Amino acid sequence: MSAEALANEAYAVALAELPGMGPARLRAVLDRWPPAEAWSVVWSGRAMAVGAVADACRPDPAALAVTWRTAAGRVDVADVWQRYRDAGVGVAVLGGDGYPDALASDAEAPAVVCWLGDPAVVQGPRVGIVGSRRCTRYGRDIAFELGHDLASAGVRVVSGLALGIDGAAHSGALSAPGGAPPVAVVGSGLDVVYPRRHVDLWRRVADAGVVFSESPMGAAPEGWRFPLRNRLIAALADVLVVVESRHQGGSRHTVDAAIERDRVVLAVPGPVRSPLSTYPNELLHQGVGPARDVVDVLVALGLAGRLPMPAPVDAGEPEHEPEPDVDGPADPVEVAVLDAVGWEPATLDDVAERAGRSLGAVAAALARLEAAGRVAERDGRWERVAGRSGAIRRRTAPA
Amino acid sequence: MLATVSSATLLGVDGQPVTVEVHVSSGLPGFTVVGLPDAPCRESRDRVRAALLSSGLSWPQKRVTVNLAPSGVRKGGPGLDLPIAIGVLVATEVFPPEWCFGVGFIGELGLDGSIRRVPGIVPMVDAIGEPTVVVPGGCEREATLVGRHEVRGASTVVELLECLRGEAAWPDPAPPAPVPATGVHERLDLCDVRGQAVARLALEVSAAGGHHLLFCGPPGSGKTMLARRLPGLLPKLTGPAALEATRVRSAAGLVLPGDGLVIDPPFRAPHHGASPVSVIGGGSAHMRPGEVSLASGGVLFLDELAEFPNAVLDALRTPIEEGVVRVCRAKGSVAYPARFLLVGATNPCPCGEWPTMACRCSDVARSRYVRKLSGPLIDRFDLRVLVRRPDVSALLTGRPAEPTAAVAARVLTARTRAAERGVMCNAELPADRLDELAPLADDGVHLLEHRLRAGMLSARGLHRVRRVARTLADLADGPDTLGEEHVGLALALRADPAHEEVAA
Repeated sequence: MSAEALANEAYAVALAELPGMGPARLRAVLDRWPPAEAWSVVWSGRAMAVGAVADACRPDPAALAVTWRTAAGRVDVADVWQRYRDAGVGVAVLGGDGYPDALASDAEAPAVVCWLGDPAVVQGPRVGIVGSRRCTRYGRDIAFELGHDLASAGVRVVSGLALGIDGAAHSGALSAPGGAPPVAVVGSGLDVVYPRRHVDLWRRVADAGVVFSESPMGAAPEGWRFPLRNRLIAALADVLVVVESRHQGGSRHTVDAAIERDRVVLAVPGPVRSPLSTYPNELLHQGVGPARDVVDVLVALGLAGRLPMPAPVDAGEPEHEPEPDVDGPADPVEVAVLDAVGWEPATLDDVAERAGRSLGAVAAALARLEAAGRVAERDGRWERVAGRSGAIRRRTAPA
Repeated sequence: MLATVSSATLLGVDGQPVTVEVHVSSGLPGFTVVGLPDAPCRESRDRVRAALLSSGLSWPQKRVTVNLAPSGVRKGGPGLDLPIAIGVLVATEVFPPEWCFGVGFIGELGLDGSIRRVPGIVPMVDAIGEPTVVVPGGCEREATLVGRHEVRGASTVVELLECLRGEAAWPDPAPPAPVPATGVHERLDLCDVRGQAVARLALEVSAAGGHHLLFCGPPGSGKTMLARRLPGLLPKLTGPAALEATRVRSAAGLVLPGDGLVIDPPFRAPHHGASPVSVIGGGSAHMRPGEVSLASGGVLFLDELAEFPNAVLDALRTPIEEGVVRVCRAKGSVAYPARFLLVGATNPCPCGEWPTMACRCSDVARSRYVRKLSGPLIDRFDLRVLVRRPDVSALLTGRPAEPTAAVAARVLTARTRAAERGVMCNAELPADRLDELAPLADDGVHLLEHRLRAGMLSARGLHRVRRVARTLADLADGPDTLGEEHVGLALALRADPAHEEVAA
């Protein structure tokens, strides 16, 4: 093994892969020594002689030093590095070449960052979209639309590739033809796709944009990695939008990290009774701005001019009367049923009772409305679908 | 000397005629039974001997050989005790062979000389060709159901011999034993169910059209309560269906109702710990009908469907399609009837709260649970209904709902209309006659077209929707052509509990 031939990054990822090595310890080690030297220090078991490193390695630095020394003795750095190159994973060390500027200025920047795709795409305005993994159709629709509209406006959508809101935001961003590239930050290693269901989305994001991770390859999606991942989303986002989240949800970490970094946080208002809108609504109550649609987000970014205009609306036309009647249902039963469905999931029983019609008439009307794309069924419950002129009003940008 | 006595044994739910031949000859005293007896049958040697001695008769100090013909068929159960005893008595010339000409015997013997009842009296009597049969006392009503025989009952060997000799009159049939609550569902009325309009409708459609039904909902939403009210909606069994249900119950050794014939549609609810054999039927020593056969003509209710072992759920598929279950063992194979209405109930996830926010299941746990519900079995349910906990207001103040009697009347009308089409119920409408029997109106076609184009409905699903829509129209006394109201409702009764969450 000729040590000189290997890049700094090779030693950095070899260090990162050591057992018990988390982002904080890695940062402590690499703050003290350059990667190659750090490797030989760890390899010879002398790392804990430095106070900062030993502090990061509590509660038992001595035992960890032995673990590291033993593990390092079995590792061939050249093999490790070859694995990253074979997988097409890019690596940069804090302060080194290729390290994304967007992260380098952060106080808690990761010592090593890995990526799939092109890290240069992060240059440009970025908006983080976060929310619950288990979301309602409302939340998913909003996240999808925001993702789509922001990407169309040339804004990079930053999210975590998780189920629910994250996935919907990225899917939306990818669905915009010629849209800005998506940016993802994941908690696991780049070869460990989590959740498995998003394997396809994961690949598409990597192809069109970039997927970052501060975890080395092979790192399992352990619970503690996700709050750390969330701080990177906050660090990368110029504006953070919370779509849906429970009170105790993981989005809280992202929001706290964003506020620490003086980022603008916006929240999507939701029904006050929906448990998944408690956190966004609480944020609104605390004075965070609302994200009713892409316009609000672009204004917060200072990019109001970027909005791809819909057909101009007559200035004199009253705002509260948009155009739904043009494509709205004409049939009185359908109108009654659509009113009865509402925006919260309702079963057929509920709808029939509220509409005061027979089950058969309501079922037929729902089937027609579904065919027209105005309602959707999920798990036996019916919901209205946010049409293009529906839940979020398409407003013109403020003059 | 040789004696020949007629009897029968049980093979599946059918009787198998058996001729008991007894040969008594000089030689080393002994008693052998040949002709493939199973263990309880072979042990009859000791019971017969003791019973005769207890009845004050002598046992021959000779060589006794009993052959059970046809000797190639395995004989099971203790029902051959009585014919063997009679055969020994005739062969030892205790009484003349004429007395048992034209008489078949069935019964197990006690050591004290009593004659005990055995399971399967109805099918066994049916297999006996003689004009008169002697059955254990108390089984006369069961035996008369067959209707071809003069039925005699006897409770002890002594009593039997006296009657055969003509010294005493045959005893009157014993009064029917009080039947322990078999007709429980009679007392369960649909008016106890508050709210739940869709689930009630699904029950009605299921009863009227013979459509298999799945309830999916959180604990306490009334799935079991609803399912238990289904047998009350089904019409009473008549004719061959009643006799078939009786034969199965009889073969399983279950108590028959007071007058012998089973007319209440059975309701079977095996626990989810049930083994495949107990559900399907079989057993190695003694073949016994399983729950699917006991439910034949009625309802098989599987509560907590997803908790059943996969082996059981998979084994249900063939009986559902074919209406019979063929149980094959090395010793032979039997076909049990299995025309049941399957009703399943399941939680939407292990904790039962999905899709509300109270659900605490991990995604992995939920998808593992749901995967059991997906696939081929779920496809067999024409009706899939999501039930929720009823509203508090409906529980406390709601008016009493429609009673079972009113709904059962509509069900009967719908079944009559199905019978006019030449099928037992609409679920059996053949696919190639659907265009003729369940024609679609234009607006109905329109709804289906959207679902088909969106890939939300398969060709098989389409047939099922049309059959359900046919039943809905029959229940509403609707037109021959199926409009969007019926089609829309049939589609709404096909919710998909195995829905996987996918990102938008």
